[in-house]
Amino acid sequence: MTFEPIWNSIIAWYLFLAGLGGGAYVSAAFLRWRHPEAVNMIRIGRVIAPVVVIIGLCLLMFDATAGLHNPLRFALLLTNFGSVMTWGVVFLGVFVVLSLIGAGLDLAKRNVPLWLDVAGAVFGVCVAVYTGCLLGVCKTFPLWNNALLPILFLVSAMSTGMAAVLCVAIFRHPEEFNRVGVFKKFHFCLPIIELVLVASLLFVTASNASPAGWESVMNLVGGDCALAFWFLFVLVGLVLPTALETWLLFFSPKEFEESRKAHWISFASDAGVLIGGFVLRLLVLIAAMPLTMVVPWY
Amino acid sequence: MANYGMLINTKKCIGCYACRTACQRQNNLLPDEAFIRFEEREVGTYPSVRVEHVPLQCMHCEDAPCVSVCPTGAAKYGTDGIVEVDQGRCIGCLYCVAACPYQVRVRNSQTGAVDKCRFCTVAADDGTKMCSCVEACLTGCRIFGDLDDPNSEISKAIIETGAAPIAGDLTKAKIYYVR
Amino acid sequence: MSENAITRRSFLAGSAGVAAAAAVGFTSFGAWQQAHADEEAGEGRTEAVHTLCNACSSKCGYTAYVVDGKLTKLIGDPQNPNASGHLCARGYGYSQIAYSKDRLTDPLKKNAQGVFEAISWDQAYAEIAEKVRAIIEEDGPDALALVQDPRPSGSYYAKRFMTALGSPNSYTHGAACNLSKVSGITQAIGAGDWVSDVENSKMTMFIGRSYCDGIRPSQVAALERGFENGAYTVMVDPRCNNSTVFASEWVPITPGTDLALVLAMSNVLIKNNLYDADFVAANGVGFDEWAAAIAECTPAWAEEITGIPANTIERLAAQFAEAAPAASIEPSWRGAYGCAYANSGETARAVALFNTLLGCWNQPGGALLTSSAAAGKLDDPRFAAPPKPEGTLLGTKEYPLAAASMGSAVFAGEMAKAGVLKGMFFYNSNMAAGYSNPAYLADALSQLELMVVCDVQMSETALLADYVLPETSYLERAELPEFGGGKVPYVAMRSQVLDVIHPNTKSCDQIFTELAQACGVGEYFDFTQEELANAQLKTVGLDVDSLRLVGTVQFPEKAFVYGTAPKWNTPTKKVQFTSEACAKAGLSACPVWVAPQTVPEDGAFRLVGGKEAIMTHTQTANIPELMNIAEQYGLDRPWISAADAKALGIEDNDECVVENEQHSGTSKVRVTERISPGVVYIPSHFGCTVPEQHTAYGFGLRIMDYVPFHIEPAYGSAMTQEATVKIKKVGA
Repeated sequence: MTFEPIWNSIIAWYLFLAGLGGGAYVSAAFLRWRHPEAVNMIRIGRVIAPVVVIIGLCLLMFDATAGLHNPLRFALLLTNFGSVMTWGVVFLGVFVVLSLIGAGLDLAKRNVPLWLDVAGAVFGVCVAVYTGCLLGVCKTFPLWNNALLPILFLVSAMSTGMAAVLCVAIFRHPEEFNRVGVFKKFHFCLPIIELVLVASLLFVTASNASPAGWESVMNLVGGDCALAFWFLFVLVGLVLPTALETWLLFFSPKEFEESRKAHWISFASDAGVLIGGFVLRLLVLIAAMPLTMVVPWY
Repeated sequence: MANYGMLINTKKCIGCYACRTACQRQNNLLPDEAFIRFEEREVGTYPSVRVEHVPLQCMHCEDAPCVSVCPTGAAKYGTDGIVEVDQGRCIGCLYCVAACPYQVRVRNSQTGAVDKCRFCTVAADDGTKMCSCVEACLTGCRIFGDLDDPNSEISKAIIETGAAPIAGDLTKAKIYYVR
Repeated sequence: MSENAITRRSFLAGSAGVAAAAAVGFTSFGAWQQAHADEEAGEGRTEAVHTLCNACSSKCGYTAYVVDGKLTKLIGDPQNPNASGHLCARGYGYSQIAYSKDRLTDPLKKNAQGVFEAISWDQAYAEIAEKVRAIIEEDGPDALALVQDPRPSGSYYAKRFMTALGSPNSYTHGAACNLSKVSGITQAIGAGDWVSDVENSKMTMFIGRSYCDGIRPSQVAALERGFENGAYTVMVDPRCNNSTVFASEWVPITPGTDLALVLAMSNVLIKNNLYDADFVAANGVGFDEWAAAIAECTPAWAEEITGIPANTIERLAAQFAEAAPAASIEPSWRGAYGCAYANSGETARAVALFNTLLGCWNQPGGALLTSSAAAGKLDDPRFAAPPKPEGTLLGTKEYPLAAASMGSAVFAGEMAKAGVLKGMFFYNSNMAAGYSNPAYLADALSQLELMVVCDVQMSETALLADYVLPETSYLERAELPEFGGGKVPYVAMRSQVLDVIHPNTKSCDQIFTELAQACGVGEYFDFTQEELANAQLKTVGLDVDSLRLVGTVQFPEKAFVYGTAPKWNTPTKKVQFTSEACAKAGLSACPVWVAPQTVPEDGAFRLVGGKEAIMTHTQTANIPELMNIAEQYGLDRPWISAADAKALGIEDNDECVVENEQHSGTSKVRVTERISPGVVYIPSHFGCTVPEQHTAYGFGLRIMDYVPFHIEPAYGSAMTQEATVKIKKVGA
């Protein structure tokens, strides 16, 4: 009895982009607080946020084929406030509006009120947490149905959002990139936290009462997903960025850190974080096995 | 107001799929759209082995995860304890499919909407007196009826056989299995 | 359930015929919102038509509901003895053949490049007739043959067409189905079948037959009732088949050795004087000779051959004696000895003799020799039979025991290869894929000067043909009445349910009538199908219109009565423990042990086939509803025992190579505790090689690819399980 994953890469992109968008706006708010002089990077964060989230929402609507055929039905999305997805729609809607206003004001060289950035960041966090809770409430899948997943997705969302801002900054505004040390150190910590969270998630899931938990973990670490899990997520997405940034931030000479070569290394590290972020969503979607009623799925 | 449920006696199920294809005709489903799925388990080892076939379909749970997660209210509790899908509200997000522990909700590949067992029951003069799976079952595995009526055939049979939902009290499911 | 509840439920259900229901006064059934809006917009006229299923040979009667001209649901007719109110999965699924995208829609002719092109019916008839005339002129009518899987109209029209042409060579698919079983049993008791009264029995043994896999609903019900009534039901099968749900015991056996089991059980009954000596003395001939011949066939001897412990055999025989006469061995069908092994016919003969030892014939719970209804003599000269062909059915000499009503179609294949047969017609038959080795048959049938195939979809056989004639699906045609037997004889009829969907398709009665006219023998077909049906029904006091209203009419006045003294329709008018015909055919006069031809070499497995509940032969594999089940649950996978798999390092669902001298193919396998070690089971339905069958093409292995072309001595069957295969993990 074969199990076909219910959601595929389209939804993985959606989860990834929604998280990234939330993270990007949080990045902008953080930069405003600790590095107010990095005005271009702040703008990058504000612009990335609505753009990627809107792309993600388009993908979501494309995947919801019955709605795509009857677009008016999307208006019904606000009817069941018992549903996490309904809350997600609220968060996403508010976030898109806030971030669009923020990006618009910034691009128009107008002052962005502080409350807007604070509210945008709050809803950015909500969106990121929502992507995890969306899966987390599905009791069917032990890999999803735990409290760690939303936190893991939140950390990953912040990490990918920051990485996206940094990636753009390296090319567009290297001088600002060189000066946002606190931001980079926060960004450096996130993959390490993620590593701890992922390890915890796997241990907790594997010990689930249903064999589905164990099967899901085995899919990730030893099955069809293993290559992507170990190479793309763990190595490229977590270990490599941590190793490269450790060296850049703590061991390399100051002058090298600001060289073009170092920028490329940073770029590689941030690109790795982005790849890892997407692969994480995809793997969590396709590796998850549902509860067993009589015999295990395979 | 009834509270409909079903009993499936897996000890009599021969795993013949007749309920599935009968349901497809009764409900005019697509070839790959099936409301009933099957799990098969071998018990014992050669030569002392027996096989257990377990048909699974919407359990019309009283605590239905599909209803909780459905963002548009398409999945809902109908009357008489029947969980319904309002096809006109479904956007096809598949959240209910992911949330259903029994994996018995299917997407109609033409409309994109999700559907599942409706406890279809048709007037006596149209031939089918019961849900089509109940009528179609070659061995009489299935009993359909009102769980709230202590005198109904199903209520009596549940007591007599000790039938229980497949996953215990996970969702207060209303299909009872004899295993 | 309260009145209120029913109304409530009615309201909630259904979708297809919302408006329909109102039109015919049905209680409204369904407000399933927006479910099928297009259909609701239709006129909503519902018709209910009684017809007969065509998903297998059982021809179960059911009521087809047609809403606005489209088939909706199907409900088995309670008054039809085969359906007994139910259909199987195939019945519901195969109804969709009418709407198949892969239907044949026009007559086809293979051109010089070997490509089919559509031609007119007139051209097809004219060219076929021209070739038929040429063959008859050159080689006589004996060079023509017909192969069909009989259906009510086909068995009349197709055969009558051959007879009119002067050819005696009308074959059924029997050589790849139940030919040996029917022929062997006939040698013993003068009838080809019986009904084991399992529901009233104290003990019934099934050998290689599974009512719950090759389903006829009434038989499943009888088995279930028997089991619930406390009958000791025994399934002898290399596989723990799905009927074991209602079995007291599964007795795994080495494939092809059922004869040894039956002989050993007979030996126990005789040796211990547990048999019905009075019955045997009164009814049998040659008993002493048989008793002496099997004196050495002890349980210990059989254990070596069958793999069944001697004490189990001893116990089963004793249980039988205890239960007799409310006990019998079920006659089986194709399974173990319909056409499978070199000893199949002899196994059938032994089974009939074993039941005779039990004295169970026509006893409650025993083996019942029921009769069938039949049409009487038709007075109208138009229906008079064409002159009997001068020649004899090809194969009669070589395979003298083969029932003449079936003949050996595989021998006809051999004769095509030898150039003896020049022209062949195929109706509702996929001989090239299902009867024996497909490579051999493709080569053999390619030798024909004329090959005509009449079918509803392209098949392996049709691909080889010169002309392919498109038939309407069974739902779009009426057929002749089907007279049937059983405890209560009956007549049932297929009525037309749907309007013809593809305008250039024709029903088989029309095709053969027009073919006959083109071939110059139209005078034997000077009537319509309905005129003939009416004439046949008139002989039993019915007519087409009245039968159409109810679908099936039973004849309770002709019902079987327990205790009726059986009439043995053998040459000796006795149960023949010894048969002169068998002796003349080169066999032992009484059935003795004959080993199967094939002995697996080291590392090889005995190959067995068999039906699954969702498929019939190769004809249902292109139905998406049914194939979807096979795909979803991996029902195409060969079975291998857990013990063998472990030894070979194979795990469930591993991709494996299955090979022998005939063929090599790869497939995922199913590792199971439900099969005897040393045996590989391949389902009989898959491995379609017809690209025009878009659903079935290329899915699974085709068991016949592994079976060499060979024919059972004396009986003429295809020996479809005389084959071994090796299996290994891909890459191992």
